[in-house]
Amino acid sequence: MIDCRIQLLHDVAQAARLSAQTSRLCYAVAMLLCVHTMVPAQEVDFDKAVAPIFISHCLECHGAGELKGGLNLSQVESAMKGGENGQVFVPGDAEGSLIWQRVMANEMPPKHPLKDKHKAVLKQWLAGGAKWGTSPIDPFSTTTDTRAGRDWWALQPLREVLLPKVHSDPPGNEIDAFLLRNQLNARLVPSAPASPRAQIRRLYFDLTGLPPTPEQAAAFVADPSDVAYRKVVEELLASDHYGERWARHWLDVVRYGESDGFERNAPRRNAWPYRDWVIHAFNNDMPYDEFVRMQLFGDQLKGGPDGAAATGFWVAGVHNTVVGGSDRMKKLARQDEIEEVLATVGQTFLGLTVNCARCHDHKFDPITQREFYQMASTISGLGYGERVEQSPGDQAILTSMTTALKQLNERLSTINQQAREAIIAARKTGDAEVPEPPAAFARWEFNDDLKDSVGELHGKAVGNAKLENGALMVDGNSFVETSALTKNVTEKTLEAWVQLENLDQRGGGAITIETKNGVVFDSIVFGEREPGRWMAGSNGFARTESFNAEAETHAAERPVHVAQVYQADGTIIGYRDGVAYGQSIRKADLQPYKAGETEFIFGLRHKPLGGGRTLTARIHRAAFYDRALTPAEVAASSGDSANYVPEKQIVEWLPQEQKSERNRLVAEIAEKSTARDAQAAKANQTIYTLTAGQGATTNVLLRGDPDNVGDVVTPGAVASVSGVQADFALPADAPEPDRRRKLMEWITHSDNPLFSRVMANRIWHYHFGTGIVDSPNDFGFNGGRPSHPELLEWLAGMFQADGYRIKDLHRLIVTSRTYRQAGYLPVDWEKSSSENDPREVDAGNRLLWRMTPRRLEAEAIRDAMLSVAGKLNSEMGGPAFEDVSIVSNNGTTYYEPIDVDGPQFFRRTVYRLNPRGQRSALLDTFDCPDPASAAPRRNVTTTPLQALSLLNNSFVLRMATYFAERVEREAGADVSAQVVRAWQLALCRDPSTDELRLSTELVQQHGLAALCRGLFNSSEFVVVE
Amino acid sequence: MNQISRRSRRDFLNWGVNGLGATALAAMLQADGQAGDSALPKLAAKAKRAIHICLIGGMSHVDSFDYKPELTKMHGKSLQTDEKPDIFFGKVGQLRKEDFEFKARGESGLMISDMFPHIARHADDLTILRSMESQSANHTPGLFVANSGFEFNGYPSMGSWLSYGLGAETESLPAYVVLNDERGAPNTGASTWSSAFLPSDNQGVVLKGGDQPVRDLFPALKLDGAADAATRQFVNAINQQHMQRTGEDAILAGRIKSYELAAKMQMSIPVVADISGETQAVQESYGINQQQTADMGRRCLLGRRLLERGVRFVQLFSGGPIAGSPRASWDAHENVKDNHTLEAGRIDQPVAALLQDLKQRGMLKDTLVLFTTEFGRTPFAQSDADQVGPGRDHNRYGFSCWMAGAGLKPGFAVGETDEIGWKAVERPIPWHDFHATVLHLFGIDHEKLTFYHNGIQRRLTNVHGDVVSEILA
Repeated sequence: MIDCRIQLLHDVAQAARLSAQTSRLCYAVAMLLCVHTMVPAQEVDFDKAVAPIFISHCLECHGAGELKGGLNLSQVESAMKGGENGQVFVPGDAEGSLIWQRVMANEMPPKHPLKDKHKAVLKQWLAGGAKWGTSPIDPFSTTTDTRAGRDWWALQPLREVLLPKVHSDPPGNEIDAFLLRNQLNARLVPSAPASPRAQIRRLYFDLTGLPPTPEQAAAFVADPSDVAYRKVVEELLASDHYGERWARHWLDVVRYGESDGFERNAPRRNAWPYRDWVIHAFNNDMPYDEFVRMQLFGDQLKGGPDGAAATGFWVAGVHNTVVGGSDRMKKLARQDEIEEVLATVGQTFLGLTVNCARCHDHKFDPITQREFYQMASTISGLGYGERVEQSPGDQAILTSMTTALKQLNERLSTINQQAREAIIAARKTGDAEVPEPPAAFARWEFNDDLKDSVGELHGKAVGNAKLENGALMVDGNSFVETSALTKNVTEKTLEAWVQLENLDQRGGGAITIETKNGVVFDSIVFGEREPGRWMAGSNGFARTESFNAEAETHAAERPVHVAQVYQADGTIIGYRDGVAYGQSIRKADLQPYKAGETEFIFGLRHKPLGGGRTLTARIHRAAFYDRALTPAEVAASSGDSANYVPEKQIVEWLPQEQKSERNRLVAEIAEKSTARDAQAAKANQTIYTLTAGQGATTNVLLRGDPDNVGDVVTPGAVASVSGVQADFALPADAPEPDRRRKLMEWITHSDNPLFSRVMANRIWHYHFGTGIVDSPNDFGFNGGRPSHPELLEWLAGMFQADGYRIKDLHRLIVTSRTYRQAGYLPVDWEKSSSENDPREVDAGNRLLWRMTPRRLEAEAIRDAMLSVAGKLNSEMGGPAFEDVSIVSNNGTTYYEPIDVDGPQFFRRTVYRLNPRGQRSALLDTFDCPDPASAAPRRNVTTTPLQALSLLNNSFVLRMATYFAERVEREAGADVSAQVVRAWQLALCRDPSTDELRLSTELVQQHGLAALCRGLFNSSEFVVVE
Repeated sequence: MNQISRRSRRDFLNWGVNGLGATALAAMLQADGQAGDSALPKLAAKAKRAIHICLIGGMSHVDSFDYKPELTKMHGKSLQTDEKPDIFFGKVGQLRKEDFEFKARGESGLMISDMFPHIARHADDLTILRSMESQSANHTPGLFVANSGFEFNGYPSMGSWLSYGLGAETESLPAYVVLNDERGAPNTGASTWSSAFLPSDNQGVVLKGGDQPVRDLFPALKLDGAADAATRQFVNAINQQHMQRTGEDAILAGRIKSYELAAKMQMSIPVVADISGETQAVQESYGINQQQTADMGRRCLLGRRLLERGVRFVQLFSGGPIAGSPRASWDAHENVKDNHTLEAGRIDQPVAALLQDLKQRGMLKDTLVLFTTEFGRTPFAQSDADQVGPGRDHNRYGFSCWMAGAGLKPGFAVGETDEIGWKAVERPIPWHDFHATVLHLFGIDHEKLTFYHNGIQRRLTNVHGDVVSEILA
């Protein structure tokens, strides 16, 4: 089927009219030659020969923005008038022209004098009468030797190209034809096919980021036919590991990170839905145009969790959350943010470095400063934050699960109630025991003073807080604070007896534990997020969620007992009058508090004193426990101990039959409530994503300075991109979604030639290690020129015609002969007389005369070790695993790599929490980029620190041990068998005789783990042919 | 086609030998004959190595290196200006005179306050830059720009650029070593010494105490020494055999070499980190025997030992995380006198000892000592408009840093702030100029040391930078 399609494209291409020999590159070169050769001609064409010199060497100081010496060379009138030093041109008299004198003396342009050929052009033009052409000079009209114009190759419509007519044996596919033509021109011949083992290992790593098992490799080695090869390709493309591998590439490009960066660098624990969305999109072969439309506009196109996850694209980068107090700082930070995101949008989808036009017109590409701000206008609604997305289908399931659970609870409650009543009756007659209340760490009676009746945490009144009738009165403008806690606290219980002034009040705290500045706190609050209900308040709602409890009805008439138990695993259980208050919650980890830095306050949610945080109430008593109380203890403490019956007592009381039913019910409830919690998370997903605000009316900022405001601009984009309308025909104050929609349409338009070129090149880049354009994020003047311009056109055209199916591009590439050739020249290779030595004429392998051997990326090395050790946990998606300790120190978050062990840490590296700045020792040394900026092309280094990591990192050592255990399991006790198995697992081959001997010695003297560690360090393991 | 192969040959070399002490310089020299446009020029290099003392939080220049008699006179008066100062908290109190007494020091007569009595004795070795300016009055962007020329995450630091440009003088130590304050790393953590888009071997390597001074220098889990050695011999043997079968591919040769260098590092890092061989007198001169100066003293001494053994760039931080109480940095919003007395007390003697030691060993003539702060502090107090509070806010408009050593005019000061020390008025020195000067002293034209990243040849100095030629010897 694929072959048919390619055949079709082939025919179309043959019908195309353009000559196969002309490339844009050649065209550009020809233009330059043209300039040069025109010098001797009688009349110099100003637009073609002189204007480019002015553009490249003069106008930066004597043009649009700046007018040094009062001279403006950008238009005829001002140029002829001259500057502060008078006239600079004397038509017909070069020697007499000031401009010529300064140029000849190498005074102008300063620092970088004109080249002789340009001087010659200038002189010729002056002598010939200095006839001006287009005025004002259009700096973008043509490409010069220092910058790109509108005729720049990448901005032109896609060309249809002819397939080269080359003969090869065996025949290759279309890709091979293009490559072979250039190889032949350079008198090179492609390498022989790689060994089947090398082919299969390459293919697995490339498509899935994991090695084949020895059995998978052996099967292909036994039958290395094209049919078998294609079958493997299809299997790998259908594997979930494919999406995990290729999503990682995409995440590099969009600099996806899981912390804010800058000073605070707070973790983003709800950013992962974007990562999962990308993985699924790759696995489902989502057409690339849809893939991009969703990322730019998914919230509007589709909405729901999917839309929110996809538009996580917008907020994947850094975000400065400490921008300072001054207006200027705030404005500057916002402009920096906009530039950073526009850079990502322009480079990711179109290879355009639009960000370089923030302060002035782009110095190298035809992008004006005004266009930068027009694009800025389209994204001026950019906002970073979390959204809770409800999925209607999942909500319905949740409701029915909740109802079912409620019914089960009611049945349990009936049984309990009957037993309870019977037990309480028995207590009155002395037939059942009454539990003791627990001992508090601190207890404030509020009878005669504010003192802690147990320890030293005495209180002090602030404002009008006073004692009255054995209770603390707080009036909305007062609170009580204590001295500092003298020990470190992890789990804890807060407790208070409170009578509220009214039930309408919102957000006050009864008892709060907080750091001294009030930045971090946990508090029993009333009516904060939910009116009329008790909640566990916390800084930034970090640990706060609804208990889903009934509204308070009594607390205005009588004191109620409220308690909150904070357990070690982060679970918070609320209690009211000694019984559980709704459902327990667990939103985040337990917040520890440090001795000396922690205090308690009463009547205020957290410091400082202010509106919306105070309670109006009588607090009769309060207590703090430095541990998590049990339900029985809370009940006992609630003062209702006579009426509290612990579960154990109930169970013992029940007759056998009811006991069994109760056990069944308890088990069923436990199971169903776990399922319900999981469903609740699915139905209400918190996603870190674009929180679009209103669009802002946007002005050009002169020199990029927010205090130097220029014209208002309307939403738009870059006009020099051919085929698409850059003026969005929207007013400057258009609604945000309209602006973003237009931007999305402009980027993904089928006539936008950059859209498919850039992606086709990216895919190529990841398969071969180098793109046809070797700067995948930059198709401009500063980027690389295509090594095979026509191949790129052909691929981009094919990609588009095929409906932007990325998997089809993979198929085409990995089945090419070029892709399947060997990576190393045979040691005894000798060139024939008719060919060049490729190592001499193309050492960088741009002509792909071999498959460049490549060191695996950091993630692939880690994943491969997991896989070989038999420990890879293939669980997909969801929150990231964290192999760093995350320590918050006064508002800043620090991440330190820690040694971890266990299946939850053995997932693929793409699921690892990826914070900015602080990183993993192993991944770091292997060039895993910090997501602080886009990494469209990773560095590949070979360093001693890398060797140290691979030898000594705790993860490697652990995997070596697991690998050894696996080998022992699979190969038994015989050392030779063990060695063979270890080599097969690590490298998909048997050891040579010598390797077997060395390995056996090592194992005999130092154990199997030593061999396994050694194999992880072998070049063959980390460098794939 | 020629164009392609030429470009490629250079890339190939660069790619294959990166991290083996091969550097931009080597790659560029290689390219030189071919492309005809040498990237690194032939400036005379005065400096061979540098040690950077990087103050976190903002040191008050009007209390230390920038004497302003007019400010003394105007104590308690209001700042006369129509503009709203770009400061962090936005509270503009009355002008506040210096909290530390200034004196003329040495033969040069440079005015330095009693905040730094030890460093002041080396006044004749210092080159003070009194007209520094920053783009940001906010800590993190301020620290980023001071180190990398950009206010954001993701740009290589000065040490990384030097490492990239010049490599290390030794194969057995990293080119760029970082020594953090015992109170913690600065807020930006490893982003501060990141190589960003430069190859990863140019990032700062954190040297710590203990038996694992560099992470993963030795097996992180218990491993028998003989097994370790045997495994490494085995690795070498099979890697050699593999290369013989496949041919001398650069990446394979590079890997084999990298294991040899790793072994050298394992030998040399513990040696350099162990200061017990230094004489008692030397240790005492650095203040290692006193609690207040022990941390910085040890790090300054380590710094000297690293430089001696060929490390290119050593970076020491003075100050830990920025927020919190009590302050663990120079961020004296509350009280300059108290805070700076404490912070200066931690580093004054050690830094002075470092200068002395370098000089004595004849190293100061080709070693650059850099002493920088994120920004200065306001000449007006951070308090209500009618009060002279004891603290000062951030001041990006004018502040002081100093350099010493290689290629500089000693006992010299350049630039001036206005009469109250608020804004730089004479020869303002933005960070780009500072960086251009540092590179110049290393013999590098700052416009030529570039690395292509996403559309632009990036440099330490962005698109700016003028060498402060006034201070060159």
